Amino acid sequence: MRNKDDIKKLLDYFQNTEDKSLQFDEEAIISAYQKDNGNQSLAIKTLSVFGGILGGLAFLGFLFITGLYNSEIGLLVFGGAFIAGSIWINKKYDKIIIDTVSVSFFIIGFILLGFGCAQLKIDENIICMIFIIIALGSLGIAQNYILSFISVLIINGSILMLIISNKGYDFIHIYASVFALTMTYFFLKEATIITSSKALSKLYNPVRAGLILSFLSGLIFLGKKGILPVSPNYIWLSSVIIISVIIYLISVLFDVLNITETRHKIGIYIFTVLALLPTALSPAISGAILIILLSFLINYKIGLVLGIISFIYFISQYYYDLNFTLLTKSILLFSTGVLFIALYLFTYKKLTANEKV
Amino acid sequence: MQREDIHIISRHSDLTKQVIDKALKENIYNDKEAWQKFLRLFFISLGIGFTVSGIVFFFAYNWATLHKFAKIGLIEGVLIATTILVLLPKINGNIRNIILTGASVLVGVLFAVFGQIYQTGADAYDFFLAWTFFVTLWVVVSNFAPLWLLYLVLINTTFILYSHQVAKDWSEMLVCTLLFIINVTILISAIFLGKKKIPNWFLNTVALASVSFATIGVVIGIFDKYQAAFPVLILITAIAYALGIWHGLKTKSGFYLSVIPFSLIIIVSALLIKISDEKMMLLLVSLFIIASVTLTIKSLINFQKKWTNEK
Repeated sequence: MRNKDDIKKLLDYFQNTEDKSLQFDEEAIISAYQKDNGNQSLAIKTLSVFGGILGGLAFLGFLFITGLYNSEIGLLVFGGAFIAGSIWINKKYDKIIIDTVSVSFFIIGFILLGFGCAQLKIDENIICMIFIIIALGSLGIAQNYILSFISVLIINGSILMLIISNKGYDFIHIYASVFALTMTYFFLKEATIITSSKALSKLYNPVRAGLILSFLSGLIFLGKKGILPVSPNYIWLSSVIIISVIIYLISVLFDVLNITETRHKIGIYIFTVLALLPTALSPAISGAILIILLSFLINYKIGLVLGIISFIYFISQYYYDLNFTLLTKSILLFSTGVLFIALYLFTYKKLTANEKV
Repeated sequence: MQREDIHIISRHSDLTKQVIDKALKENIYNDKEAWQKFLRLFFISLGIGFTVSGIVFFFAYNWATLHKFAKIGLIEGVLIATTILVLLPKINGNIRNIILTGASVLVGVLFAVFGQIYQTGADAYDFFLAWTFFVTLWVVVSNFAPLWLLYLVLINTTFILYSHQVAKDWSEMLVCTLLFIINVTILISAIFLGKKKIPNWFLNTVALASVSFATIGVVIGIFDKYQAAFPVLILITAIAYALGIWHGLKTKSGFYLSVIPFSLIIIVSALLIKISDEKMMLLLVSLFIIASVTLTIKSLINFQKKWTNEK
């Protein structure tokens, strides 16, 4: 939230960057700030999501005690009405304070619809498709932060459901790869996306958060042995994609870090590939590194925290699952540690030497 | 300038992609210096982290032919070496603290090895108590937030293990009450003694832990049969929550102003369900949750508006 003076200063900043005169719709900007639905603190977003879920659960308890689940048509009608109602309410009163209500309705709607379809013995694949279509529709109609975020999660959950219920477990690799590419595109092309249309600009933040979580959920299936019988024959597929994306990201980083000498560049590429090769059997680790690098690049703090936590988790899971004796594991870990300490000392010397020059 | 500013202005102007990209790079994205700092911290944390876990795994392997003196001697040798490293004047503050954190984990390994040799069990509460006790000095001297967090985890673990292994007759609610008192005391002293040096994520983590213990304790108390500790818990919770709200208003922190009301909402809902679990009550609870969360958010927004205008 900003007052008028702040907004004036911001607009001046942009005016000074260009020679020609720019068009600003000042009134729209001021009213956008006053609508108070944009830059809300994490506390408020979390509060509305958790409040929405809790309220939704209690309401479901009520509906089931009243015996609504006996009527398939009732479930479908109520489900549809709840989803439509929550989107309508959001569209009509685009205010943060009704978020909790609409989130509750939205979630209840999907659960009722799911139950209704299941009772009518509709095929799971079709249910997932219906969910994806409705969620996509809600992304198109209401670009509210929390609804869009939940819609992205519903879409990705439905895709995962499709993979699991059809026993096409190896499609997880394609899932992870596609999400790695989409996520990277979203992070690196922020300016392109937010200038392309108003709707996309509003969707940028929630979709970015949703993409990270979707990618992470794919990684969990790859990183923890035994959740899904993923065949080890294709595990290289996601690794190749993720490691290539990291390499590409490093070429972007050269600009930020002002590294111009080809000798240095090649050295860094070789080192990165060597360091990532041992993780080729666990794409989850390189995936977490990708999240960390991307989030730090565009300064997205929640992404960074998520990346670090998942990195620690996947590394521990990796070593836990390894079929070596503890002694071999210990030697592996210890030498990796020494390698990183050496790397630290090396870069430290390099950097301090540079600073002196 | 924040990311949201750029987003809003780009939505209502004819700014080109290039201008927006430049604005993002100049104002939002991390620059060269930040990257250098980040990479250094990343490498050293990975280095120390992997090395220490290597050492942990080595002792977990429990090498049978290695004599017990050699085992304990080895780890004490590593401990002495790291402590000397920390004392070297050339090493900078952050790195020193990261090494000390690694050394504190090694103290735990030392006691685990001790337990392994003398068959005391690795999860005995005295093992954690000794671990906690012997790193205290380092924690205080380094005053490093991650090490403090490790220390708090140790205190809580020691206490929970003690309640499971020794004080078996304590009720769950009593355990929650005591955990709440421990964490809230630490939080309050950190806020008053630490002034501005303590990072927010640390305080918020401790606050979240405290509020969780209080909430779980009160909810258990509501559903369990009456115990003498219950009114005590209610009284302390009420005082602590009032202090928390006051502190949140004073420091303009949305965190306290959302976590505490949310805990209260859960408690009241539990109370309502205790009174009756009929269908109408569930409807009432659901309406209550939605209405009260909405109300909390509304007042948070009002506070934020007020705070921005004061600036």
